[in-house]
Amino acid sequence: MAAALLAAVTSGVALAQDARRGAELATPCLQCHGTNGRSQTPEIPSLAGQPADFITIQMILLREGLRNAPAMTPFAAGKSDQDIQDIAAWFATLPPGPPDDRRPRDAALFAAGQALSGPRHCATCHVSDYGGRNQIPRVAAQREEYLLHAMTQYRDGLRAGPDTQMNGAVMGLSNADLAALAHYLAQLD
Amino acid sequence: MTIRRHLLGMAAMLMAGPAFAQAPAPAAPVPGWAVGRPEGSTLAPHAARLTVTPLDQVPISSIRLPQGFQAEVFAHGIPGVRAIAEGPNGTLFAGTRAIGRVYAITRNPDGSTRTRIFAQGLAQPNGLVMIGNSLYIFAVNRVLRYDNVEANLDSPPAPVDLTAAFALPTEQEHGGNHHWKYAALGPDGRIYTNVGVNCNVCDTDRDKFALLVSFRPDGSDRRIEARGVRNSVGMAHHPVTRELWATNHGRDWVGNDTPEDSLLRVRRVGEDFGFPYCLGTWADPQYNRGRACGEFSQPAALLGPHTAVLGMRFYTGTMFPEQYRNQIFIARRGSWNRTRLSGFDVVVAHLDAQGNVTRIEEFLTGLRDDANQRFADRPAEVHVLRDGSMLVSGEQMGAIYRITYRR
Repeated sequence: MAAALLAAVTSGVALAQDARRGAELATPCLQCHGTNGRSQTPEIPSLAGQPADFITIQMILLREGLRNAPAMTPFAAGKSDQDIQDIAAWFATLPPGPPDDRRPRDAALFAAGQALSGPRHCATCHVSDYGGRNQIPRVAAQREEYLLHAMTQYRDGLRAGPDTQMNGAVMGLSNADLAALAHYLAQLD
Repeated sequence: MTIRRHLLGMAAMLMAGPAFAQAPAPAAPVPGWAVGRPEGSTLAPHAARLTVTPLDQVPISSIRLPQGFQAEVFAHGIPGVRAIAEGPNGTLFAGTRAIGRVYAITRNPDGSTRTRIFAQGLAQPNGLVMIGNSLYIFAVNRVLRYDNVEANLDSPPAPVDLTAAFALPTEQEHGGNHHWKYAALGPDGRIYTNVGVNCNVCDTDRDKFALLVSFRPDGSDRRIEARGVRNSVGMAHHPVTRELWATNHGRDWVGNDTPEDSLLRVRRVGEDFGFPYCLGTWADPQYNRGRACGEFSQPAALLGPHTAVLGMRFYTGTMFPEQYRNQIFIARRGSWNRTRLSGFDVVVAHLDAQGNVTRIEEFLTGLRDDANQRFADRPAEVHVLRDGSMLVSGEQMGAIYRITYRR
């Protein structure tokens, strides 16, 4: 308990200044992304516990018109680097978790997704607990239909990250494959 | 689960069938980038930094140079800065990848610089060529020409779209692999560029991918300058012999120390450097296809494993000591697909009178922290200014360093 408290305090100190400002700036974000950063809205991703680098880079791609997500356009337009970094720092401090409406596990679909995750080397970048790191997002417990949407966009060439790793990672997968992967990842905690 | 390491197209799909009996559909073949990738590896590309780095965080004090050379920050606050092309009036245009911008950097009378965003919202506009007063931008899938640019830095004219004329392979045909461009103007007035391979490693169409190509500036008369070149994102012509030289990236996921990145000297049009079968005397363990490596052109030099060799220039100035004249400065952006970091520096390839590389000298170092396995910046381009000083772009920190020499 003491150790856990100490860790919380330490990380709080490291991020306090930026994250506190980010918490205020993020108020408009919460309507869609969830009051605790866990989205309860279909097609909208959870941002709680996402690596700060990931949020920062995606916000800049949205600001620069390089990532097409029309709902985000008015929020990203004109945001300064500092605002984006502070918002990202705040979301990174929130404890991640599944949406309240996560559906029960489908054992066969989960197994199918798990079977694909090895050959596709998902954990190489997203880390073995699928919590992400740096520019690579947390995908564990993300909204299932959002994961499917994002992977479909990568596969179909409608989205690219700062590099093209994800386009390659899902290349050639069928809709059924992506659905299985999305279910598997959404069920992880 | 060794079977997963050897999924190679249809044959492997059949072998792997029983393991995927529960899958909702037959397993798709593993894409080329995953071939040879070991289970459990955690190596991933480094995060790009797309935000402005404050000047006090630009790592100028980390830079180490040979005796007599000094480094200063020439310009900063330029996220993602990579390739540099210079206009006739001295404007420096700088391309980027992830942030989609082309910057225009001018010098103020007091020696400081001013940076404008010249173009934005482009897909990886890394390739830049200046011909007369026209700037050519090679983005992924787009070739644009902006005329009379230096007179219109604040309000760039609408570009002429040359995409169809150049007819480079599309983003979709590349499958997201190695489709970003480097471009250079040849002494013959042609534009030289790369067509990278459409995978990490694969059996590819060797007339379409893994090439160095040249065009007339209007996009006509495509000529294959070299084939079997996996991906070159740096090239220049020798100032005396006019031969084309290029840097070339080796494939990933086949060991920490193999294959090496390389420096290529193209002695005759169309020669073949062996990808995917060979690189120098190194035979690819998965894609050699029984080919003898001796049948291919050999690289002029090996430049280290996974070092990510990018921009290169022959030093044509007079500020540096005579021993550097017409020698090749090469930016090594630095590794990700390697357990320990390599590169993150600038090296010099020294040539003898016949143009053979006699040695590779470390020139700009100090950005790679071996003890802590961290890096302070990633050199992506070198450019010789008219006064003989040299610019080095630092992509990670969005800064351009200027190297000068004082006796």
